[in-house]
Amino acid sequence: MKILVADDSRVMRQIVIRTLRQAGYAGHDIVEAENGREALEKVHSEAPDLVLSDWNMPEMNGIDLLAALRSSGSSVPFGFVTSEGSADMRARASAGGALFLIAKPFTPEAFDEALAPVLRG
Amino acid sequence: MTITAEPSYDDVQMVVEEVWSSFLGAEEPLLPAAPAELSVGWSAAVTVSGEWHGMVSVELPTGLAEEVTRRMLAVDETFDEDVADAVGELVNMIGGNVKSLMPGPSVLSLPVVAAGRVARPSDAVEVCRLDASWAGNPLQVSVQVLNAKNRGDA
Repeated sequence: MKILVADDSRVMRQIVIRTLRQAGYAGHDIVEAENGREALEKVHSEAPDLVLSDWNMPEMNGIDLLAALRSSGSSVPFGFVTSEGSADMRARASAGGALFLIAKPFTPEAFDEALAPVLRG
Repeated sequence: MTITAEPSYDDVQMVVEEVWSSFLGAEEPLLPAAPAELSVGWSAAVTVSGEWHGMVSVELPTGLAEEVTRRMLAVDETFDEDVADAVGELVNMIGGNVKSLMPGPSVLSLPVVAAGRVARPSDAVEVCRLDASWAGNPLQVSVQVLNAKNRGDA
């Protein structure tokens, strides 16, 4: 499977990719994007099986990315990995069509719990 | 109306400890430390704007900022670009979690990172300051409330 990781922080993209391995999801193809606009382009050009996106990014933020994907007809499974895990943000994520919101800081266990239904089917 | 609530010291300490233990390793604990004048090598800040207006900042000596970067990236050598990224991500996580503790709705800014000390707005009032030590290095986390009167939206 192919996973798109969108975050404006290279450090955080590396941590997300490392945590995917630690959670037992090694071996998947990883595609990276630095902001929502780049992620939007790469969803269409790379056809990932899952998008893991930060919320707060320059150019295009995560919730606008999700809205743009859905309005373009993409139903790619989408989850947030963000420092903002309030009930309000979770409700907005869910209303926008996100499957889950993993709050930073996170653990491999939190990744597995959120990703297992998507990646282990 | 602007809410002038402030996060408790215990809440801020819990947030910072969670960030530290998750991404920097639990084997080296973050310890409370006496307030001290830091030789600030790197700092970063985020602001929260909305129902609650505040700023969260982190200040680190250079050696600690570089060690944080090595741990977060799992590399031996660091470059300034990576240090800026890592310190910015630290304050983004701490600030995002502080935002979640405060009344909303509000918006979290992208982090501002500086080699040296990030300037604070003149209307910022510090409401919580965490002095800590990690691996023998001091660091400071500060939460400031921004005064509504000077923003023109009070």
